[in-house]
Amino acid sequence: MHIMEGFLPSPWWQLWFVFSIPVIMFGMYRLNKLVSERRDLLPLLAVAGAFIFVLSSLKLPSVTGSSSHPTGTGMAAILFGPAVTAVLGVIVLLYQALFLAHGGLTTLGANVASMGIIGPLAAYLIYKAGMKANINFYVVVFLAATFADWITYVVTSTQLALAFPSQTGGFMGSLQAFLAIFATTQVPLAIMEGALTALIFKYIIQVKSDALVELKVISQETVNKLRGITA
Amino acid sequence: MTKMLDDYALLSPLRYTNNWLKIGVVGFGILMGISSQAPLVPFSIAICMSLATLIFGRVPPKFYLKLLMGPAVFVVFSIIIIAFFFGGGPELFGFNVLDYHLGVNTGGLSMAFLVFSRTLGGMCCLFFLALTTPMVELFSVLKKTGLPDSFIELSMMMYRYIFVFLDVAWCIKHAQTVRLGYHDLKTSLHSMAMLCSTLFLRSWEQGEKTFVAMNARCYDGKMMIFEEKRPVNFSEVALSLTYMVAIVGVWYVSNGMLEVSFW
Repeated sequence: MHIMEGFLPSPWWQLWFVFSIPVIMFGMYRLNKLVSERRDLLPLLAVAGAFIFVLSSLKLPSVTGSSSHPTGTGMAAILFGPAVTAVLGVIVLLYQALFLAHGGLTTLGANVASMGIIGPLAAYLIYKAGMKANINFYVVVFLAATFADWITYVVTSTQLALAFPSQTGGFMGSLQAFLAIFATTQVPLAIMEGALTALIFKYIIQVKSDALVELKVISQETVNKLRGITA
Repeated sequence: MTKMLDDYALLSPLRYTNNWLKIGVVGFGILMGISSQAPLVPFSIAICMSLATLIFGRVPPKFYLKLLMGPAVFVVFSIIIIAFFFGGGPELFGFNVLDYHLGVNTGGLSMAFLVFSRTLGGMCCLFFLALTTPMVELFSVLKKTGLPDSFIELSMMMYRYIFVFLDVAWCIKHAQTVRLGYHDLKTSLHSMAMLCSTLFLRSWEQGEKTFVAMNARCYDGKMMIFEEKRPVNFSEVALSLTYMVAIVGVWYVSNGMLEVSFW
């Protein structure tokens, strides 16, 4: 969810920039290192960023007819890791603000924190933990993408509650209200995105699994197991 | 195919005015709006920037209104929460839901109004930039900011491929729709997944091809772009300065009045 331009009052939008900028710097450092080692990665990362942008501008099929867009960040974090996803996230969010009028410039810091940093990081941690615990690959992807989407909304609610604490209940009071409206309505959509991401990986493995092996997302043995021993 | 703001910017009559002037005007509006404690300042910014977009930028008014309605859902929900939970002062009205008292008081309502005006002002500034300045022009600005080269290269290449992949995605989507690929939830989920995975594989292959093509043309990690000189003419500067002075005036008057009313 994008926080609109001008929505966060003065100390908060600067503070979220203070939070996001060091992470982005670290991401750029990692990116520079990766690119200087393997120059063929830059075009690949560029098309990956474009892919995330297009993914997030597609409408997710939903039951009620209300439109929602997948965040795509869970998938990006699984494919490229959280540091690079953060850098791609900044560019995607900037383009979304300028092309589609989603989000804004002063709120870019807050939006990067929720959609580019914390959500992908959650997805990445869940994915790594799940793969280590030897759970089925598709289940892990489903969980990672679902929680990345949902945690993004929880973080956004927290950001709004911090900026606008309730008179009676303080921060917790308004956090409950923002969570009730944004995080609960997002649960079915998050599950939808999780299912979609798992299906996407299923199709990719069926058609061209070497792309995933090359990115070190999964090992060749896992692919063979998923395809069945005959494959 | 949905039209993006960039399409309008490329055709905009303001496209060839100086980038720094436009960025200055927009940045000024955004910062003044967000630092104001009185809703009058962001509202006047919103009116000025909308008029500039509609008259100088010749954006169709119907499209502009539709654009402003886009973020409305998010803003309305959040403002209702702020009105109910924020601020003090005498209560205006309230009701009980399941033994829980909900009320709107003057402090909350004025805060909600202020946030609404700030969002409106900020969105109008952002739309002005988005509808008059194509991304191609902003790249030369980005190059001057001293961000790492790889970051700027990445954003330039991404910009190019966004449009390529949007085309691919829309073609696949149309093809799927005419074959009843979206007639119920389960089918649409599968169609969507097929679309996305095909898109991923296409982009992967495209990335490999691009590397080969660029390497063959001696790409060394730095693309040169031609930056045109865009002189500012007197009337533009005069108009921007008048606008800024007027907004600063409104800022002092309205925020000054606010301080008086606090005493």
